[in-house]
Amino acid sequence: MSLLDRAEQLAAGLPPLLVAARQIAATVLPGVHGRRRSGQGDTFWQFRRYEPGDTARRIDWRQSAKADPLFVREMEWAAAESVWLWCDGSASMRYRSGDLPEKAERAGLLTLALAALLLRGGERVALLGRGFRPSNARMTLQRLALTLARPEAEAPSLPPLEKLPRHARLVLISDFLSPLPELDASFRRFADLGVRGHLLQVLDPSEESLPFAGRVRFQGPEAEGEMLVARVEGVREAYRARFRAHEAALADMTRALGWTKAAYRTDHSPQPALLSLYLQLAEPGRVRES
Amino acid sequence: MIDFGSLSFVTPWLLAALAALPALWWLLRLLPPTPRRIRFPAIRLLFGLEPREETPQRTPLWLVLLRLLLASLVIVALAHPLIDATGAGGRSGPLLLAIDNGWSAASRWPARGEAMIDALERAQRDERPIYVLVTAPQDGEAAGLLSGPQTAAEAMERVRALQPLPWPADRALAMAALAPLGDGAMGDVLWLSDGVATEPEADRAFADRLAALGPLKVMRDPPSRLPLLNHAPGRGGAVLTVNLSRATAEGARTVLVRASEGNGRLVTLAEVAFEAGQRGAEKAIELPPELINRIERIGIEGEAGAGAVVLLDERWRRRPVGLMGGAGDDEAQPLLGELYYLQRALAPFTELHRGTIAELAQAGTAVLVLADVGVIPEEDSGRAKSWIENGGVLLRFAGERLAENADPTLLPVRLRLGERTLGGALSWTRPAALAPFASDSPFAGLAIPEDVTVKRQVLAEPEPDLGAKTWARLADGTPLVTAERRGRGWLVLVHTTANTDWSSLALSGLFVDMLRRIVDMSEGVAGGDTSASLAPYRTLDGFGRLGVPPPTAAPAAAWVFDKGEVGPRHPPGYYGGEASRRALNLGAGLREVNALGDMPAAAEIGDYRVERETDLKPWLLAAAAALLLIDLLIALVLRGLLPAPRRRAAAALAVLACLAGLGLGGRPAPSLAQDPDEAAIALTRDTHLAYVRTGSPAIDATSHAGLQGLILVLKQRSAVEAAAPAGVDLESDELAFYPLLYWPMTAEQPLPGPGALRRLDAYLRNGGIVFFDTRDQGALEGLGEAGEGTKALREIVRGLDIPPLVPMPPDHVLTKSFYLLRQFPGRWDGGTIWLDSGEGRLNDGVASVLIGSNDYAAAWAVDDFGSPLFPAVPGGEQQREIAYRFGVNLVMYALTGNYKSDQVHVPAILERLGQ
Repeated sequence: MSLLDRAEQLAAGLPPLLVAARQIAATVLPGVHGRRRSGQGDTFWQFRRYEPGDTARRIDWRQSAKADPLFVREMEWAAAESVWLWCDGSASMRYRSGDLPEKAERAGLLTLALAALLLRGGERVALLGRGFRPSNARMTLQRLALTLARPEAEAPSLPPLEKLPRHARLVLISDFLSPLPELDASFRRFADLGVRGHLLQVLDPSEESLPFAGRVRFQGPEAEGEMLVARVEGVREAYRARFRAHEAALADMTRALGWTKAAYRTDHSPQPALLSLYLQLAEPGRVRES
Repeated sequence: MIDFGSLSFVTPWLLAALAALPALWWLLRLLPPTPRRIRFPAIRLLFGLEPREETPQRTPLWLVLLRLLLASLVIVALAHPLIDATGAGGRSGPLLLAIDNGWSAASRWPARGEAMIDALERAQRDERPIYVLVTAPQDGEAAGLLSGPQTAAEAMERVRALQPLPWPADRALAMAALAPLGDGAMGDVLWLSDGVATEPEADRAFADRLAALGPLKVMRDPPSRLPLLNHAPGRGGAVLTVNLSRATAEGARTVLVRASEGNGRLVTLAEVAFEAGQRGAEKAIELPPELINRIERIGIEGEAGAGAVVLLDERWRRRPVGLMGGAGDDEAQPLLGELYYLQRALAPFTELHRGTIAELAQAGTAVLVLADVGVIPEEDSGRAKSWIENGGVLLRFAGERLAENADPTLLPVRLRLGERTLGGALSWTRPAALAPFASDSPFAGLAIPEDVTVKRQVLAEPEPDLGAKTWARLADGTPLVTAERRGRGWLVLVHTTANTDWSSLALSGLFVDMLRRIVDMSEGVAGGDTSASLAPYRTLDGFGRLGVPPPTAAPAAAWVFDKGEVGPRHPPGYYGGEASRRALNLGAGLREVNALGDMPAAAEIGDYRVERETDLKPWLLAAAAALLLIDLLIALVLRGLLPAPRRRAAAALAVLACLAGLGLGGRPAPSLAQDPDEAAIALTRDTHLAYVRTGSPAIDATSHAGLQGLILVLKQRSAVEAAAPAGVDLESDELAFYPLLYWPMTAEQPLPGPGALRRLDAYLRNGGIVFFDTRDQGALEGLGEAGEGTKALREIVRGLDIPPLVPMPPDHVLTKSFYLLRQFPGRWDGGTIWLDSGEGRLNDGVASVLIGSNDYAAAWAVDDFGSPLFPAVPGGEQQREIAYRFGVNLVMYALTGNYKSDQVHVPAILERLGQ
């Protein structure tokens, strides 16, 4: 099978995801994004007096003709930021209960939608650990979609450590059900690089409520082992308590690092989650920059 | 075997396993159900969690109950329960099956057949040796009556081929056949009696002997269900008096009597009513003599057996009448001659012959008419006298010659010489009219037209007994017709001429009526021919159907007919030849039919009941299998292996599938492929013989195997290479692809719907051939006048536009389309093939409807190894060969139409071309 064939085959599965991602992205307006200062950019920012040192090319002759002084046109600085996205593709994400979509599917959708949104805002986007350089070229979204659709063999359940530039943004989309110490260690390594992280936790409702009954043999999807529960009803309360503790610990951890965390459950619509993630991504960045 | 009311078990000790059910209960309750398996990403959070309650989840109560039910079903099924298992099972020692197969067993023969099979099946379960004793001898010898010891399968074979015989059972002979068996030699004895007595002593002795052999059970019909006996009817003029008798006098009963022609065409139906308290019933069938003369067979509707059928021969039919006139009488003016008048008067209801006294005065003639014959030679008069003594009627008419030569030897009265003239030119007297007939005269009741006058007559000498001899007088009291009884015959003289010379009598209707009365007084052809023996011509079988005489039949002397001596050597039927045949009827010899007398006290008396024992084992096992499937489904649901929302639907579907599997088992797959075009191409690429699927799996399998066998034969012997037989569902399949459609009739098959009828009609109209097989000829199916298959056929063809049917003419194309055939047997022999006459010249005169009754597919049927599946009765393999030949002819007819009928003329055409 030629490369083209394979590409087409892959591409055949893409459009729905891409379209869905674009649809979701379209509902979230990028809003304000300029740097609010003059610099490299396309948008007009201000005129100012010509100062010695400015090249003659930058003089706006039409404006200068209206008055005596010479004016120079300044554009708004639209410096793009680099955002690294990571979508958990491990076996634990391939879980669903009932008719709900798989966690991995929703995670991929959210990743792509976020990428589409960021690209529209002119940011440079890259996938963590998949050999990408941040880019905002037109074909970036397609490349992202292709890469996401191609599952990794033995996908890790923790984000792979990569040398990221200072002040880069990192968006981690996963269920974060790994043991807390491992998560903490992983996050810290990124934080040490000066990276700001944003977590989006994708969960299935059954993981939160443990709705099963009767005699059940549970199996871990990532070779965690097995566990036979004689009566699931008997352990439900204890499990929920543990789950809540896990969530709380995760929230504490992110707060300590100065990161943010949003949650999404697969039985909900993805738009609110995307919006909140986007806002988190946008707002603190500007605050920090100014 | 242990019985609980109507329920019994073959291996009851297995029921002890039911005691283990509580243990199973405990086990099922104790063991938790298999856990569901769930892959759960958050399992790390679960590790180390201990449930607060220690009780493990239990199998739900209803599931335990379901499984207990399943276990008990299996146990009960293995114990092999039977409903209505009738007694004899579980016994050891040989079984003697005594079967009455005389004429009286033919009624309700199917029930008897079922009783036989039932008994043999039970004996088969116990693996007992079996003796079979039949009470009606095939050949008059005791030797063939008893067979055994044999296995149940062998006995089954013999019993299936058994058919009732048209003569009475001979229980004394059967008892003689039992001689080799010692007392008490049998485990038990089952006598499937027909309930009709033969000779009281012989019956009782036979029963005692059976009871001595082992515990006896006698199956008998109640007297109200015993067969009716149809005695020889009486014939008088336009009246045929049917004469029936029955075994019991209780209750009123009405039966339908069917009088038909030789080719089976119905002449009339009459209701005959038995009044309560009467064992006999009579019914006069009044019809024009022409119609009565056509009747050859009188049967009782719904009664099978030779006893219900009376065959009529010439004695009941048109009388042969000899005519002889005076010398040269007719030559000059034939239309005024006496013989001409007689001929016109007698021809409608008699069979006329002309000749001399020597030729005519013999057994073949019932009435001899001499018109104005004067002198009779000595030799002839002697012959005529002895003929009269034996029952002949000599009718003489007066005339010139008789008036001159009144020879008293062949006259009822002495005549005066010369004649008397009434009226005329020189006379005062006027031609005399007739006086009313006396009440004791044979002519009593006939109306006398006023214009009948007699001008001249011969006169009798006054004698003391003249008045008694006189049948008719003139108005002045002189005798016109005188008669004298001589032996069994009559000598009759009409004192005037048979033409208009002497009177106008010959011009009136009265003349015909008087002649008819006189002819009716004659005995018929049988006028005392005591010498010759008549060879059997066509004889009745046990069900009352005419067929080829059995090899045991011997020529019958006259006394056999007189006494009605019916037996293996003289089966009832026609004797003689086509021209002069004589009927021997069972009902003529038997005075009455009586119920079987008392049985030995030890004997158990049973009744032929229609219901048979029901084997519950397969049903129970099927129910257990269904429960097992349900249990499997439940287990799957409990383990979460079925997607939740579809669970209910899937379970319902599975249960439905189980039920469907139970109900429909073994329904043949639809013959047509999904794509109609593809199917049509496949069907037209080869020749396909087709049969109609009746919905009864056994019949359909037989049809399939039958056509398979026929195709094999066709392939071996002819150029026809047909592909596999196709089963056709009339409601859905297209018929146009099949040249021939074989349609076996079953009582159960559903009537075709309007769509199917339309399709069938179009098929017939456009040259398709449907071969209906009523399968009625067979032993276990036959019911006399109209069998199950015939009834089904009638129902089915009611909606079809079927042309008038005739019995197949002997020169029909079917008899020569490949083989030259005269008989058309199938599994049975003797049925007539009916087909449409092709008179409409539709489809080139090729018949589109054929109706046979011999169960042809069964004769053709072969298994996968090419060996036949059913015995051909009675002809064996020879008959099967003929059946195959008929099948080949049939297919050839279907494929080539009337081609062969043209071929027959080829020699003539060639000859013409040569000239």
